[in-house]
Amino acid sequence: MSTFNAADLVYLVPMLILMGTGILLVLAEAFYSEGPDRADRASLGTLAAAGGIAAMIAAIVLYRQLPSGTELPLVSGMLVADRTGLAMTALLCGLTAAVALMSPGHQREHGWQSGEYYGILLLIASGMVMIAQAGNLAIIVLGIETMSIGVYVLTALRRRSRRGNEAAMKYFLAGAFATGFLLYGMALVYGAAGTTSLAKLPAALGSTTNPGLVVAGVLMMVVAFGFKVAAVPFHMWAPDAYEGAPTPVTALMAAGVKTAAVVAMIRVFGGGLGGDVLPYGTLGWASPMVVLAGITITVGNLAAVRQDNIKRMLAYSSISHGGILLVGIAAMGLGADSARGAVLYYLVAYSITTVVGFAAIAYVGTRGRERLAVGDWAGLASSKPGAALAMTIALLSFGGMPPTGGFVAKFYIFKSAMDVYDGQLLWLVVVGIVNSAISIYYYLKVVTAMYFREPTGPIATTRDPGLTFLMAVGAVLILWLGVMPGFWIGLGT
Amino acid sequence: MPGSFVSPLLLALPLFGAILVLCTPKSEHQLHRGIGLAFTVLTFLVSLLLLAYFRPTLGAAQQVFDVAWIPGLGARFKTGVDGISVWLVLLTTFLMPLTLFATGKGIQKNVREFVAALLVLETGMIGAFVALDVFLFYVCWELMLIPMYLLIGIWGGQRRLYASIKFVIYTMVGSLLMLVAIVYVYVQHASVTGTYTTDLEALATVALPHSAQVWCFAAFALAFAIKVPLFPLHTWLPDAHVEAPTAGSVILAGVLLKFGIFGFLRYAMPLFLHGAAVLAPYIAILAVIGIIYGAVVAFAQDDVKKLVAYSSVSHLGFCALGIFALNSQGIGGSLYAMLSHGLTTGGLFLGIGVLYERRHTRRLAEYGGIWKQMPVFAGLYLIVVMGSAGLPLLSGFVGEFLTIFGTFIAGDTFPAGWPSYLPMPRLLAALAATGVILGAIYLLYMFQKVFFGPLDKAKNGHLPDLGRGERFVFIVLAVGIIAMGLFPRPILRTMEPAVNRFISDYHRHLAEPDGPAHVYGQPPPGAEPVDAEPDDGGTPTARADGAAADQVQADLDRIALGAAQADATLDRGAADGRGLGIPALDRGASP
Repeated sequence: MSTFNAADLVYLVPMLILMGTGILLVLAEAFYSEGPDRADRASLGTLAAAGGIAAMIAAIVLYRQLPSGTELPLVSGMLVADRTGLAMTALLCGLTAAVALMSPGHQREHGWQSGEYYGILLLIASGMVMIAQAGNLAIIVLGIETMSIGVYVLTALRRRSRRGNEAAMKYFLAGAFATGFLLYGMALVYGAAGTTSLAKLPAALGSTTNPGLVVAGVLMMVVAFGFKVAAVPFHMWAPDAYEGAPTPVTALMAAGVKTAAVVAMIRVFGGGLGGDVLPYGTLGWASPMVVLAGITITVGNLAAVRQDNIKRMLAYSSISHGGILLVGIAAMGLGADSARGAVLYYLVAYSITTVVGFAAIAYVGTRGRERLAVGDWAGLASSKPGAALAMTIALLSFGGMPPTGGFVAKFYIFKSAMDVYDGQLLWLVVVGIVNSAISIYYYLKVVTAMYFREPTGPIATTRDPGLTFLMAVGAVLILWLGVMPGFWIGLGT
Repeated sequence: MPGSFVSPLLLALPLFGAILVLCTPKSEHQLHRGIGLAFTVLTFLVSLLLLAYFRPTLGAAQQVFDVAWIPGLGARFKTGVDGISVWLVLLTTFLMPLTLFATGKGIQKNVREFVAALLVLETGMIGAFVALDVFLFYVCWELMLIPMYLLIGIWGGQRRLYASIKFVIYTMVGSLLMLVAIVYVYVQHASVTGTYTTDLEALATVALPHSAQVWCFAAFALAFAIKVPLFPLHTWLPDAHVEAPTAGSVILAGVLLKFGIFGFLRYAMPLFLHGAAVLAPYIAILAVIGIIYGAVVAFAQDDVKKLVAYSSVSHLGFCALGIFALNSQGIGGSLYAMLSHGLTTGGLFLGIGVLYERRHTRRLAEYGGIWKQMPVFAGLYLIVVMGSAGLPLLSGFVGEFLTIFGTFIAGDTFPAGWPSYLPMPRLLAALAATGVILGAIYLLYMFQKVFFGPLDKAKNGHLPDLGRGERFVFIVLAVGIIAMGLFPRPILRTMEPAVNRFISDYHRHLAEPDGPAHVYGQPPPGAEPVDAEPDDGGTPTARADGAAADQVQADLDRIALGAAQADATLDRGAADGRGLGIPALDRGASP
């Protein structure tokens, strides 16, 4: 029944706000002067942030209206409105606003002012929200492409930067490759099931006569999503892309793109391919996912230990966090009821932590000195105690130390992994936790530099109200997530 | 429940003080110290309320404060004390103001942050002692880590970067594996009962498979053994102690190390009785190795602080040995030894701080003949040193005596399968007793090197004696050490019901190896009805009198005098478990 119901539009308000603001921003850029000394685009940043926040508020209002457990098909089932989708929409919109707040200061300081940037940012956000609300494999592809192409452009936005160009090129090639896998996999699944609707897939797959196609298709999709969340061995692009992109864009990649990719996995693997209907049960994708998770956590972590560049270190740490998210996805596939809530909570905690971390990096760096080496942070605590404290809270949260959100998030994920029948994932929990201990080492390396070492010289910083705001609010949120997580647990379910 | 407000208040006070002190201007050092001192003293006074509300006959936790914390995960904010933790909380709140008071002058930079770190540390320590919820315990346990890391790293000595990272990594590795075990028990409990909870009492009612118990116990034991520290895992301790500022050393040795022993007794052993039974002999042997190794290495040190650090390895070995004697003498003695060690080693480190402030060296060779210059200090320090060495009538003696005595009769620790030609418990007791002698040797050697002999170093010629404040601190400590040595009964008496509660659980486990760790309201045959008193409040004082008082008297006689008769009763209790289907636990040739 392809009927268009006007009431459906209500649930699409967040996405429409993002798209509208995005188009408005692209148009607005036309009225700014072009030239070597481009005018300050800070006002556009404010508008972009306002759009993101408006969309977030809309998503929160809708979330509160929607009763728990309902799943409304929108526009003939292409999109759905449910609590998972709306919670993640709110998170993604909030992240977009955060990146928009982070950008003006960084652009001004590093001289890459650009108005298109904000327009593209909001269009990326609309793609992410599309993924969060997707009800059909086609929408997943559409959302991922809308998001990814925008991020490729943002990565390359500093046209003069060789590293930026290299990063964008690598990211683009890897991304295009992944999309190929994704589409091919989906085509195979479609061939076996005859539908691309995530809601109808389980039943259709249950009665398929072609299980081989399903398994092949599903494995290709695992590979494709592996690229998107930067799971080892599909992670090669990530460190270079993270390092080469401007810091706010890196924050967007680490927090937003990863969140969107994981939400897509929840939609595809938890929804369409979930349940015990496949010929091989959910094991068709859960067992490779388990292996992928174990390798990703370990390799990401061990590589991070060796990094001296903070952005690169956070890139590898982000890979490792992606691995822990995969543990949650795998647990979901193996029938742990709490896994979805755990993954969503983890995404919230991890994203907010990432924003604080990159805001601190943007704050500490200036045009003269980007301060990306760990040694550059020496003695920060004595001259900039606030920033040092925010960064410390973020790093402790990354490392999973109480009383931060990162700890509760890890506890929750590992709990859901233990919930899997017969303790099958016990070994994975041990791997994850041993890696947490290792990760403390490199996170504390930065803390050690900030607090225990003497500054090598005066530290100039990028003064910007947006960055200060993000660090302060984000740090408080991280502590809130860790001390009184009751409100956030069970989010989206 | 009466007094339930005390423990959350104890958690809130230092934290509030830390926030307050961070809100003051950076340069007001006097103000920072004042706030710190005010809050730690206030915390100490409030902690006395724990004693005021304490019902000494109750084995289970009392003054319980219990609210839902994270409903989605089943974590509760549940705090309370029993006879074991109440004294450790008091030790903490007692040492904190003394430490702040005595070491305040030595810290000149970042005083505000220093006071805040100490106050946060105090919250973490009190929280970990009073927590009755595993999740809350873990949070507080980790909360202690960061302030201590900062204390070592910011205000520490030359190699502070190395020492602080080593401290954190060691502790983290252990505690994260403990987290795996916590999650495992938590999920197991849910799969049996259908509800997720991290409430310690609820988790103790689950009968885990034996192999799982051994693994979980091992995971907990690793965390706690690192903290104690037990012999092969002790290497972080000398580094941390030597590099830490005096305040850090005092708190580290005085309180933090106790969490190892306390953790065994509160979490690892009651939750996994079978695991405890299987691994007890190995840990007891490691403890004895630690006692002797720590003592021998301490003797070889030229750095006073390192000497005292290794002496902690040795003394904590006694504590670990005592709890794995698995009888009330051993456990009671171990707890008493911990309290005593908190005072004496705290005093030893404070004394080193006094010397270091005056001479800026910690090398023994740089000292000599100080007695003539600092007679008051020398006299008071002698009491501390003797208390640490275990001189009778001072605090150290009671704990070490009971520990060794408990080990001597520790039949439950060594089941069959251990070579019968080695009388293990007696052998360990004898070796541990050697440790006492070695302890006297290195401590007296240290005292002699510092205070006696000719005053031949020119720099030692004009050392001022203790100031008024320092004198006050050392007099308080010395009085505490003497009082604990002369009157051990009040403390031992309050510990007894809580210790017996564990012992009776353990005996129930020997009798019924597949049962849950703890059964509420049904004491096993022959055990004292430690849980029998209802928790509904009412008139605690009235109940505490009468029959219960007789019981207390009986307990007291047994533990303080170490009557062989009472021990025979215990042994019989253990012997009842013999031959009931678990060959691994049947005792062999031990007495």
